[in-house]
Parts: sequence; C-alpha cells; structure tokens
Amino acid sequence: MTQVETEIQLLKKEVINMWDLVRSQLVKAKNSMLNFDKDLAREVVLKERRVNGAELKIDRDCENIFALLSPVAVDLRFVLAVLKINSNLERIGDIAEGIAKYVLSVETPFKKEILDATYVTKMYDEAINILEDTLAAFENEDTILARSVFKKDEFLDDINIRANKLIEDYLKEHPEDIDQALYILSVIRKLERVGDQSKNISEEIIFYLEAKVLKHKHSH
Amino acid sequence: MNSAVKYRIGKSKAFQWLTTTLAFACILPLFAILFFIIKAGITKINWHFLVNVPKPVGETGGGIANALLGTFIIIVVAALIAIPIGILCGVYLSENKKSKLAYWSRMCVDILQGVPSIVVGIVAYFWLVKPLGGFSALSGSVALAIMMLPIVIRSTEETLKLLPDSLKEAAFALGMPFHRVILKVIIPCGISGILSGVMLSVARVAGETAPLLFTAFGNPYLSANVTKPMQSLPLLIFNYATSPYNDWHDLAWGASLILLVFVLVLNISTKLITKRWKVQL
Amino acid sequence: MESTIVKSVDYNAYFGDNHVVKNVNIEIPRNHVIAVMGPSGCGKTTFLRGINRMHELIPNATAKGQILLNNEDVMQMHPIFVRLKIGMVFQRPNPFPNLSIYDNVIAGYKLNGVKLPKAEKDQIVEESLTRVALWKEVKDSLMKKGTFLSGGQQQRLCIARAVAMQPEVLLFDEPTSALDPISTSTVEELFHELKKNYTLIIVTHNMQQAARVSDKTAFFYMGELVEYDETKKMFTNPKDNRTQNYITGRFS
Repeated sequence: MTQVETEIQLLKKEVINMWDLVRSQLVKAKNSMLNFDKDLAREVVLKERRVNGAELKIDRDCENIFALLSPVAVDLRFVLAVLKINSNLERIGDIAEGIAKYVLSVETPFKKEILDATYVTKMYDEAINILEDTLAAFENEDTILARSVFKKDEFLDDINIRANKLIEDYLKEHPEDIDQALYILSVIRKLERVGDQSKNISEEIIFYLEAKVLKHKHSH
Repeated sequence: MNSAVKYRIGKSKAFQWLTTTLAFACILPLFAILFFIIKAGITKINWHFLVNVPKPVGETGGGIANALLGTFIIIVVAALIAIPIGILCGVYLSENKKSKLAYWSRMCVDILQGVPSIVVGIVAYFWLVKPLGGFSALSGSVALAIMMLPIVIRSTEETLKLLPDSLKEAAFALGMPFHRVILKVIIPCGISGILSGVMLSVARVAGETAPLLFTAFGNPYLSANVTKPMQSLPLLIFNYATSPYNDWHDLAWGASLILLVFVLVLNISTKLITKRWKVQL
Repeated sequence: MESTIVKSVDYNAYFGDNHVVKNVNIEIPRNHVIAVMGPSGCGKTTFLRGINRMHELIPNATAKGQILLNNEDVMQMHPIFVRLKIGMVFQRPNPFPNLSIYDNVIAGYKLNGVKLPKAEKDQIVEESLTRVALWKEVKDSLMKKGTFLSGGQQQRLCIARAVAMQPEVLLFDEPTSALDPISTSTVEELFHELKKNYTLIIVTHNMQQAARVSDKTAFFYMGELVEYDETKKMFTNPKDNRTQNYITGRFS
C-alpha cells in the first residue's frame, strides 16, 4: 500500500473508534436516564474528555495529511469529509454529556407517564439507530444507507414539533411534574439536534463517495 | 609476515621506478633527434638558404626556396581537397550511426588509414600521372589528401558524437533546415575538435616522402604550377642526403631542421588552439 | 467564446511497429495552459513532439492522422513552417554554447539566414527577454556566452529564444524537471504571463505542477488519451478510475 492509502486507512479507523465511543455515550446516557443511574451518568461525564481528545487527534491527523501528502480527488474529499464528520460527532458527544448532567441534577427518577406521553424513549432509540446507520454507511461506503437517514430523521423532527403540545397537555393533568417536564423537553430538543448532526454526517459521506454536494438542499 | 610484506613493498617500488624510467626513455629519442638535427642544421640556416634555389652541382651556396614553396603549395592543395570531403564524411558518419553505409564506410576509413604511404603514391601514379602524361604537384596533393582523409574523418566524427543531441533538437525546433543545423550549429560547436583533426592530419603528411616520389617527383627550379612537377622538403632531403655532394648534404640538414620545427610547431599549436577554441558545453 | 487553436484528429504515432500513441482526439483552446501528464512510457512526450513534427526526426518514427493548427493540417505542411509557428522548450536547458545571450535569443533568425536591421534585432531581444523576466538580469551582459547563466536562467533564455520567433503555440517537454525548486517556481510564474500571448502545452511528470499551472489537463495512459478536463475537476473528481489511481498515487 502506498503511504497515502495507509494514512487514509488509519484515519478511517480512528473515526470509526470515535463513532463507537460517541454511540456508547449516547446509549449510556439513555440508560442512566431511564434507570435513574447516577453512577452511569457520572461515567458519561468523565468519558467526555476522551471524546474531546479524539476530536483533537483526528483534526491534527487531517492537517498532517494535507500538509505532507497533498491528497487529491477521492482522498481529498475523504479527508475534507472526515474533518466535518469529526466535529459533528463531537457535538453529539456533547449532547450525551448534557443529558447525563440533567440526570445528575434531578432528584427523583423520571416518571414513566412523562416518558410515554412524550414518546421520548422511542425518539431516543431512533436517534441511536440513525447514528448507527451513519456509522455503517461510512464503514461500508453505502450511499443508499446514508440517504435513508434523511427520511428517518423526519420522525425525530416530527416529535420535536409536537413536543410543545404534548408537554402542555401533560402538564394540564400533572402540573406538579413541571420540573421533570422541562428537563424532558430539553432532552427532546437535544435529540432532535442529534438527528440533525447525523443528517450532516450523511451529507458528508455522500459528498466523499459521489462528489455530490447535498448541503443546503431542502429536498433530498 | 614482515619479510613477505617487505618483499611486496620492494616489488611495488621497483615497478614504479621502472615506469618512471621508461617514460623518460620515451622522451629521450625525441630530444636526441632534436639535438642532433639542430646541431647539424642550425649553422646552415640563413636568409640565402631560405630564398635561393639549389645551385647546380659543383657550385656552393644555394637554398631550399623551391622546396619551401613546393611543400606549402602541395599541402594547401591537399588540405583543400581533404578538408571538405573529410568533414562532410565525418558529419555523415556521426549522423548515421546505424546505417549499413556508415558501417562499411567506417571500416574502409580504418583500412585506408593503414595503407602504406608508398602504396598510396603508386596508386596516385597510375590514376593521375600516367593518364595525364606527367608528374605534377596536383597528383602529389591527391596522394597526400588520401592520407589525410582518415584522420580528418575520424576526428570530425568523434568530436561531433560528443555533442549532445539537445543541440540539434534546439536547432530543429527553431525551424532550421538540416544543412543549417550542421553548418551553423553542429560544426561551429565542434570546431575545436575538427580543427585539431585537420592540423594533426597536416602534421602527419607534411613529412611524407613516399607518396611524392612518383607524383610530385621534385623540381630543381622554383615553380608554382600545380600541373607540373614540384619540389618539396621531404623529397629534397631524400635526394640530397644520399647524394655524393657535401653542399647538398648541407641543404638536406637545413631542410630537415626546418621540417622538424614545422611539425613541432604544428603539434604544439594544435594543443593550444584546441584549448582556446573549445566550446564550453 | 473559446476558440480552438490546435486540434488532433485520430492521431497515431509509431516507432517502427511499436504503436506508441493511439487515436488521440483532443481540442486545445487558444491562450490556455494545457498540462499533459501520465506515467512513464504513456506516449505523452511522443504526442507532444508530434505536434511540431519533431517526432519524425527519430529514425523509424512515423505518424498518421491529422493535427490542425488553426484548421490547417500540420502533417501536410513542410515541417520547417510548422516549427516557425510552434516553438518548443526542452527538458535540459540547451542554449547554443558558442553564441552570446543576445545571439541566442535571435538564433532563430540569425542561423536561418534572416537579415534584420540592428534596431529590429535589439527590439526583439529586449522584448523576448522581458517576456521571460530575464531582461533586467542580463541586459548588461548580453554579449556573454549563454552557458554562464544558472540553470533556471538558461531555461528562461531558451523560452525567450522560442518566443522571439513569435509562434502561436509553445510546447514544453518537462521544462522544470532539471531545475531546482526556486528556478522551477520562477518558470511556473512565467506560464501565467505567457498564456496571455501564446497557447502553452506542457508535458509534466509533476502532478502538483500540472495542478498549479494549467487550465485543462490531459491524462495519457498506455498511449491513449484517457481523460481530458478542467484541471479543477480532474483533481477533485476525476471521471476515469485510471486517472484517479494515477493522481492519488496508487500507481505511478
């Protein structure tokens, strides 16, 4: 293998490792929320340092590849895509940390009624699903899978739009749960952003594989 | 161990000493000749010697004016014949490294170089002297030209072969036709090598006697007519040195010195000119 | 509106039986810089030399097809006329070593026996040397021999010599591969200036150079013209896999 090929393969592995890390952060944050597990939440907050470290390393490696190897064509597009995917993943990591921090500041476990009324558990599962899809699309160079993410994200958008009404309706019945309701609303907002970040990642994957720019196009 | 090494060191030193000594031994004959000829001839050279023709047998005095003029004319005519043919031939050989004609030409040129000078003389006799009905300087020049050709051709070819192809390419790319590429670029760039080849060929034939024996033949009078017999230095030396007359011996010694000096000067100036005119590639 | 200045139609070149350039069809627009690249032995240099009929100077070299310069087929013209309109600069700088800088620049006229008045000669020399950014550096030593200049200066002298003939097209055969990096970038800067007045076709081994200096790039592989496109497009998203493999260094 040439030097360029070797460096590209190494970079790909690094990104996949970061992806796995961020995915497990999201899953742990979800479980800590559902099971009111403050120890797990603390773990997520601590591990956020690793996510940040991974982002810095990938940025540096991309810079080195540009400076030393002058990549062109598909290699160039790959490294450009990785730079953007890198910061998208880091933001998803931040979101997981944020959710874990909510768990740490709440005193009582989240009530099952709120979780069901707002469909937040389902939304969370779907968000993790979408992230796993983008990872698979990246690993297997699958643009069809990458494109499917756009449709799936619509579900998350839908819940987000309806969230205000759902919470309003719930609070009419259970005004004493306003504390928890506000947290759940925030979680919903954060999960919608996870969907957005994943959509951006998919756009980058399609750019690198097909040299097509889908950014800022409203209908895919 | 020690004695074996000493033996080898000793052998090496002896070998070095031997090569140095033999080098001197090579120079020795040249200096011996120079010394001998200078000693014998220097007293004979004066203004009279240079401007007078030999006197008839019995009279004292006389000079080698006819031989000087004759040598000059014969060599100039020979050069005029050999140089254009030789250079163009050298150009052909350097341009066509692989053709069959080039291969056989090169072979013939090499063989020609080895043909004994007396054979060249006899051939010129049959080609020119007999058909034209008499001896002439022209036939002598032709004979000398034949001997000059291989040297001019080979040195031209070798000089031009050393020139990089990029020179020709640059010339062609500027829209130059072939003859201009050769005449205006290649030959000027190789002029020092070609010139040295020419001068060496002249030095080679200046002292040749055998080819002139049956062609120029010799002439006791001052003559500039190329269609008639003409005297030349080697002929004069040949005839007069073996004659029974002392006066003529003196002329022969003087002529020998002149000829020797001429060849020496030619060789030395060849070296100087080659250096000065060499084109820095 | 771009107009085409050089166009090859089914051009093929051979060395004896060896089919070295296969059916090349390419259109080169006026006042553009075209880079021609490809691995060793791909036929790019042979093709370049076909354009100004230098190819046939090699024994056993033949060519078929058409090469149109302004719609006139150079294959039907006398090679000398072709070379007056299409100049060439070679890989190793080759100023004539027996001529001064001044004489080198007008060598195309002088050695061809064209007599020009001194004023006109002076003007051509100054203009050509200025076009290659050499005038200021050598104007006080025009009578010195050309071979005393540095490598980069010698190469610019060769470009000046070609430019003095007022050609329409300039061909460059790996013009900077024998030069150090600074001379290389000086010559590369020239290309941007030169294309205002001439059309440049540059064969190069150096992909970064092709990317830096050219408007369009042609990629040759095994004698064929595989891809020919805007340089920007070729280096971000080439259409042919072979092109991609070459420029990403998967094979050289």
